[in-house]
Amino acid sequence: MTDPLVVLDQVEKRFDDFVAVRDANLTINEGEFIAIMGPSGCGKTTTLRMLAGLEAPTSGTIKIAGQVMNDVPADKRDTPMVWQSLALFPFLNARENVEFGLKMRGVGAQERETRAMNWLERMEIAEFAERNVETLSGGQRQRVALARALVTEPKLLLLDEPLSALDAHLVIRMQSVLTKLQRELGITFVYVTHSQSEAFAMADRVVIMSQGDIAQIGTPREVYRSPKTRFVAEFVGRNNILPGKVSSVSDGLVVVETALGALKVPGEASPGDQAAIVVAGDMMQVGTGDNTLHATVISEEFVGSMVTAFLEAEDGTELKVQVQERALADLGLETGKQVTLGWAVQDGHLLLEET
Amino acid sequence: MTLFLRAYLFVLFGFVFLPIVVSMLFSFNSDRFPTLPMSGFTFEWYNTIFADPDFWRSAKNSLIVSGSTCVIATFLGFCTAYTDYRYSFRGKSLFLAIILLPPTIPLIIIALAMLAWFSRVGMSGQVASVIAAHTVLTAPFAMAIIRLRLSQIDESLEAAAWNLGASEWRAMREVILPFCKPAILSSLFLTAAVSFDEFTVAWFVSGLNKTLPVHVLEIVQGTIDPQVNAIGTLVFGISITLVVISQLLIFFRLQRASQ
Amino acid sequence: MRRPSTYAMTFRLPIIIWQSVFFVGPLIFVVAMSFFVVKNYRMVETFELDSWSKMINRDYVWSAYRYTLMMAGSASVLASLLAFPAAWFLAFRCSPQARQLAILLLIIPFFTSYLVRTFSWYTILAEAGVLNGVFALLGLGPFTMLNTAFGTMVGYLTFVLPLVLILQTVTMANIDDRLIQAARNLGCSSARTIFSVVLPAGKTGFVIAALFAFILSFGDFVAPFYLGGSNPPTMPILIIDTTKSGQQWPRAAVVAVMMMLTLFSVAFASIMYAYRKRASR
Repeated sequence: MTDPLVVLDQVEKRFDDFVAVRDANLTINEGEFIAIMGPSGCGKTTTLRMLAGLEAPTSGTIKIAGQVMNDVPADKRDTPMVWQSLALFPFLNARENVEFGLKMRGVGAQERETRAMNWLERMEIAEFAERNVETLSGGQRQRVALARALVTEPKLLLLDEPLSALDAHLVIRMQSVLTKLQRELGITFVYVTHSQSEAFAMADRVVIMSQGDIAQIGTPREVYRSPKTRFVAEFVGRNNILPGKVSSVSDGLVVVETALGALKVPGEASPGDQAAIVVAGDMMQVGTGDNTLHATVISEEFVGSMVTAFLEAEDGTELKVQVQERALADLGLETGKQVTLGWAVQDGHLLLEET
Repeated sequence: MTLFLRAYLFVLFGFVFLPIVVSMLFSFNSDRFPTLPMSGFTFEWYNTIFADPDFWRSAKNSLIVSGSTCVIATFLGFCTAYTDYRYSFRGKSLFLAIILLPPTIPLIIIALAMLAWFSRVGMSGQVASVIAAHTVLTAPFAMAIIRLRLSQIDESLEAAAWNLGASEWRAMREVILPFCKPAILSSLFLTAAVSFDEFTVAWFVSGLNKTLPVHVLEIVQGTIDPQVNAIGTLVFGISITLVVISQLLIFFRLQRASQ
Repeated sequence: MRRPSTYAMTFRLPIIIWQSVFFVGPLIFVVAMSFFVVKNYRMVETFELDSWSKMINRDYVWSAYRYTLMMAGSASVLASLLAFPAAWFLAFRCSPQARQLAILLLIIPFFTSYLVRTFSWYTILAEAGVLNGVFALLGLGPFTMLNTAFGTMVGYLTFVLPLVLILQTVTMANIDDRLIQAARNLGCSSARTIFSVVLPAGKTGFVIAALFAFILSFGDFVAPFYLGGSNPPTMPILIIDTTKSGQQWPRAAVVAVMMMLTLFSVAFASIMYAYRKRASR
């Protein structure tokens, strides 16, 4: 195992009284694709800007390639960034934009042009090299921004919601461009986004942040199936969260007394603990199971072939069930109908709540 | 109602433009005293001013003053605009006030203050004094034009340059200055035009090194002399050319941006 | 707070130094100068109330003050009233393109010499001038228009009308259209809409425009000098007379300070009024 490329050790960033990032500990390995995800204002962009040297941490240390970077100014680092606004220089053409980083490093004009053109070709936009960047389409500008960041062949690429301005169909295309690029180059990507689908589609590991804290670090699967906190459970996916109190524990099986009755879930807890059972929308099934509920269908939401049905239990708790679109009618999930819902014990996930 | 208002608008515009038009027309009128009907076409007044060494001296002074003023005022305006755009610090409003306040103080007061101050510090009656005074008067306009341009910049642009290895100075040269170029040019023309027309402060401060408007002021104080119309028309031609150029620069920039 | 870097200070220091030496310095000096005295044709830097007591006890200073205040006030009101119908028309009855063109045209006068325009008015208003020539064709006149308050006012209006017209037009063009439509929808006539919607909504702009007209007229010496014939003199003319001929700079400074105090009070009062939240009725 090689040394990690990036280490954040108890990093904190305060702006006057406002704590933007609190006690952040994070290790990023070489060649990893890390997504930092969270709602706006959670500190994800500040974390990225600290890696780029655009903000200095208030306390703690940031190491890149073993070197403490806290006081290294932005222009002395090799941590190019792809900006949310792309930040292409409007008075330069596409090629000059890509050459910018090389020019700042004193690379000669001839070599600059060759290397810039190589990257433009690699990004399949060589034909627009001499075009003013303001006349390019969103996707083309995206590629110029990527080429500009990658032309210096950095070990670490920072991306700040780079796809947020693109149309939905282009986002999917650019996602595959990015993942392919990252695998080919073998460099580390740190990708900030508020979009779960972008993070899950591309990242090896996901960092979820909330109000300046890192709430959870894990693979997309871990984060999705075993959220560590209520925030993560709510932020990620279509989870049903059923809060209650642990009434009994035996053989790794916990019984939680919820508003909808006693429900069973695997895990460790002590009787009396505040807890919640998290059941992913796609684990909840129509029909009886180890745990069973009754609810009325309120509405349905179509996302391609998948449908999310929204239901309401007797006490008003809102529930979500994800099913295949074609199975919808068979299951009787029609608005206004009453159905029985159930799930297997092992499909539930126990969440102990801190008091 | 609409018809009435339209007519009223034309009357008002007539009032505003009447002196300009009359001045231009009578600069070619052969009669010394302007009366209706006009007496005949002549270049006499233009010939008179071109033959007058005083005119050329003051015109030269005016060119030196406005040429230097526009450079210094634009530099000061740029520094203020950039500081306002980039930084927030304690005392910033005071900082902005000392550059933005001059246009709100009557020129006659500034003229008196400058006259007294320059004679106190031993800078009386020099072309440099007029330049210094005019930079104070015109820097706010430079600041406004350049600040407006900076408000259109993508805030990540400068940081993007640092991120790609440019030092702050390098980013200034490679990103901020090229971005502000149209506004800087526009500011140069505008401040030059304002300085070229200013006579109150120049009259008090210039001493023997009078500028063209001060020359005009002296003629006007004497008698009715159609030379004034001729000079006015010439200066108007020059000023308006400068302003049109500066406006076109802004206009084409905006057009390109909106594409 | 971190100390600002050399880079940051490079952009701040030139302004602080330049404006201190060439703006703040002179301004403070002119205030100080009002307390200096002139002895044997030389100014002595001291602190005496000599000039103040001399100026304040003279009737002609106060009559000039009252006259200047009255004329500048009238110019401000007159310009606001004259500009309003035209600005309203430009804001609500014209296409944006026509409005842009009108504003562009109104900017032109700022780049013609005010001096030359005043001279032009002189030839227009003179006894044997252009205007009386037109009147003569109609069998009227001649009228005396030069060396009167009317002449001064024509000069002031030449100076301030374009600015007031621009500011009022921009103010009204920026009023939310929905407000006006709502008023019309509720049965307001055009006239009532002006009083109940346009004037309150654009209050800040109108007050600022009038304030500018006041400041510019109050400080202008060209119109009262050439068109008003210094009869009676205004405050700026007092400054010119006392500096240019009398060498009495401290007394000119007293006039300047009186003017500044007046302007600051008027500006402060107007701005307070313009930005005051209207009490609920």
